[in-house]
Amino acid sequence: MTVASRPERRERWPRERPRRWLLLGNPNTGKTTLFNRLCGLRAKTANFPGTTTGLHVGSLLLPDATEQRGRGTIELVDLPGLYSLGLDLPESRVAAGALAGNDGVAPEGAIVVVDATKLLRHLHLVGELARSGVPFVVALNMIDLARRRGLSVDVERLSAALGAPVVPVAARRGEGVELLLTAIGRRRSARRVAGDATPPAFLPVPAAPPRTRAAPERPSAAALNEHDDAALEAWAESVVARCVGGDQALGRASDTLLDRCDVAFTHPLVGLLVFLGVMAALFWAIFALATVPMALIEGTFAHLGSFLESQLPAGAVRDLLVGGLLGGVAGTIVFLPQICLLFFLITILEDTGYLARAAFVMDRLLCRFGLPGNAFVPLLSSHACAIPGILSTRLIPDRHDRFATILVAPFMSCSARLPVYVLLTNFLFAGRPFLAGFAFAGCYLLGAIAALGSAFLVRRTLLPGRSRPMVLELPTYKRPSFRVAFAQAFEQGWSFLRTVGTVILAICFVMWWLSAYPKVEPPAVASTLVNEAAAVATLDPGRALALASEAERLTLLHQQESSFAAHLGRLFEPAFAPLGYDWRLTMGVLTSFAAREVFVSTLAVLTGDPAGDEAGVLERIHNARRDDGTALLTPATAVSLLVFFVLAMQCLSTVVTVRREMRSWKWPLLQFGWMTGLAWVAAFLAFHGLRAAGIA
Amino acid sequence: MPLSELATGRAARLDRRELSEGEACLLAAMGLTIGSRLTVRASGDPCIVEVRSTRIGLARSVAARLLVRDESTPNGVAE
Repeated sequence: MTVASRPERRERWPRERPRRWLLLGNPNTGKTTLFNRLCGLRAKTANFPGTTTGLHVGSLLLPDATEQRGRGTIELVDLPGLYSLGLDLPESRVAAGALAGNDGVAPEGAIVVVDATKLLRHLHLVGELARSGVPFVVALNMIDLARRRGLSVDVERLSAALGAPVVPVAARRGEGVELLLTAIGRRRSARRVAGDATPPAFLPVPAAPPRTRAAPERPSAAALNEHDDAALEAWAESVVARCVGGDQALGRASDTLLDRCDVAFTHPLVGLLVFLGVMAALFWAIFALATVPMALIEGTFAHLGSFLESQLPAGAVRDLLVGGLLGGVAGTIVFLPQICLLFFLITILEDTGYLARAAFVMDRLLCRFGLPGNAFVPLLSSHACAIPGILSTRLIPDRHDRFATILVAPFMSCSARLPVYVLLTNFLFAGRPFLAGFAFAGCYLLGAIAALGSAFLVRRTLLPGRSRPMVLELPTYKRPSFRVAFAQAFEQGWSFLRTVGTVILAICFVMWWLSAYPKVEPPAVASTLVNEAAAVATLDPGRALALASEAERLTLLHQQESSFAAHLGRLFEPAFAPLGYDWRLTMGVLTSFAAREVFVSTLAVLTGDPAGDEAGVLERIHNARRDDGTALLTPATAVSLLVFFVLAMQCLSTVVTVRREMRSWKWPLLQFGWMTGLAWVAAFLAFHGLRAAGIA
Repeated sequence: MPLSELATGRAARLDRRELSEGEACLLAAMGLTIGSRLTVRASGDPCIVEVRSTRIGLARSVAARLLVRDESTPNGVAE
């Protein structure tokens, strides 16, 4: 489906709306780094025709102060990285559509980012952009790296050859960004004087004649033939020959080292060991670094709870605020540091260039299980959330390949499972971060193994066929940008907080109500204890206090046992009792079918202690008791729960997304049944296996 | 000869791509156009080639379907 055939969304924007500029460039040119430099953290995501995930849109103020009010601000859209506008790939269609103004907003101009050390190849896109007729400015990025390699670029001559301003920048260090802004401002005013786009007369043999700005037409995949390619290539070569001086054989000295790294990282055995080592270090770092901020958050919420308790009159409102909402939200927000750290570290890893090498290691593995090499990216993104992962499978051309990837993607441990993993691995290995990290990595591994096994099965039964081989650019190794990683961590953390503020808050409210009502009379034993306490109050205050607190505990227990939640939990308990869960854990599992992270908040509410203690939420859940007085969590139940959460399909949004992507209810229902059934059986085996081994 | 049979360090020129149109287009956009000069940085699986100062990793099955002309000079790599 081409972008042009989509129904066009023509909207009338208010007059003051800033004009749109597009940011485009090849993958690995530092485009995102530049975008963050230009727009900071104020970027928003917006949907564009043809995109499956939102694009980043930022606004930036040009330094030209003489502009009229509002005219000095432009809107900048960060398009996905692409090699060419004419390819039959989603990113090419999106970029071509945005350049043509298919969503009703014609761009005023474009910034094209090129890597100064790879100018020859990146000019391909610049040539195509020139043909589109949209005015553009070239950001010659990584100029610092080029200089270090002894390359010199004649910027003036290059600018003349391209018919557009060229600004050397080093986005990582922020060098040249101000000049880029000035160039954009000048380009805008020049355009207004000179009228619409100047035809790109400097291009030698344009297969497609220059188009007018209003309706630029992109060459179709078929039109982009070898002849066209050759013309662009010859032009690019002549431009580079005229404008670039210095040793063309770039970075020769370091090449042997680079080659050795590449060979090692993609080696079947060494590469796999390196990959496992890197992943283990990643998870260990997440655990070790998150302890301090987690303790801070827990402490803050505990203080807030006791403060509210002392300020508010006793009653339903106080119970709701402190026990229901605050308790539930605290139980979830406490995982914010870990989620931010995960995304921070993965972005850093990606930025170093290592992940592209790891993709080849994974490709060899995936191929054997009938998954294509390009399933690596969707499967990796599924570690954040299965939904973007499933959406990114649109990059996989073969239908069967794509469906197989969608079916197994939710097995990958997403960030919603993180809170549950943290709760349970901390319980299993309290105070031993190394072992906890190990168990944590084990959960990820178990999910991956289940995914590969399921893929293997489905490729031999429902979706037969062989997968396609892998082709991938290997970016230069480089020092990662902390700025980009920080932006990514911030964005993911913020989206997590939004979920906490909406879905989780609502479920907390419902769970609190279910667990606090109907109100019942305190049990007879408790009343006797209270009377007894009153009798000895003057003689033995210590004993009176102990009696009173025991009475309170019994009352609370009685209240919980007779609540709606308990009735519901007991109704479903038989289904989960073989896995070692009581009604509280059953309720936790049931509520988490809407969203997994709810498990922790549900338990936080169900084990709530309205008397309010200073203990953190995690500690409270770890020490919670069942109705019969035994521990709520034992090592065997914790492992059983972990296994269940790794494998079960507990996410309504994913089910809906799969239905939309595969256009049938058959697949998501099959997936749900398979995953949840597998989870049940595996948790059952884990629970009884551990018990048989003497671990209760 | 197929690219997959070229040893590490050899330089060659791309003659033909026996691939589907979609795959061929992607390779072309990455720089592997017909007639482009490439250097094998690491043979094997994946085969790593350098073309126009960009490194591209190719699964062995892709490399086997790229036909190249060996253009290495006797005294080593030609750039």
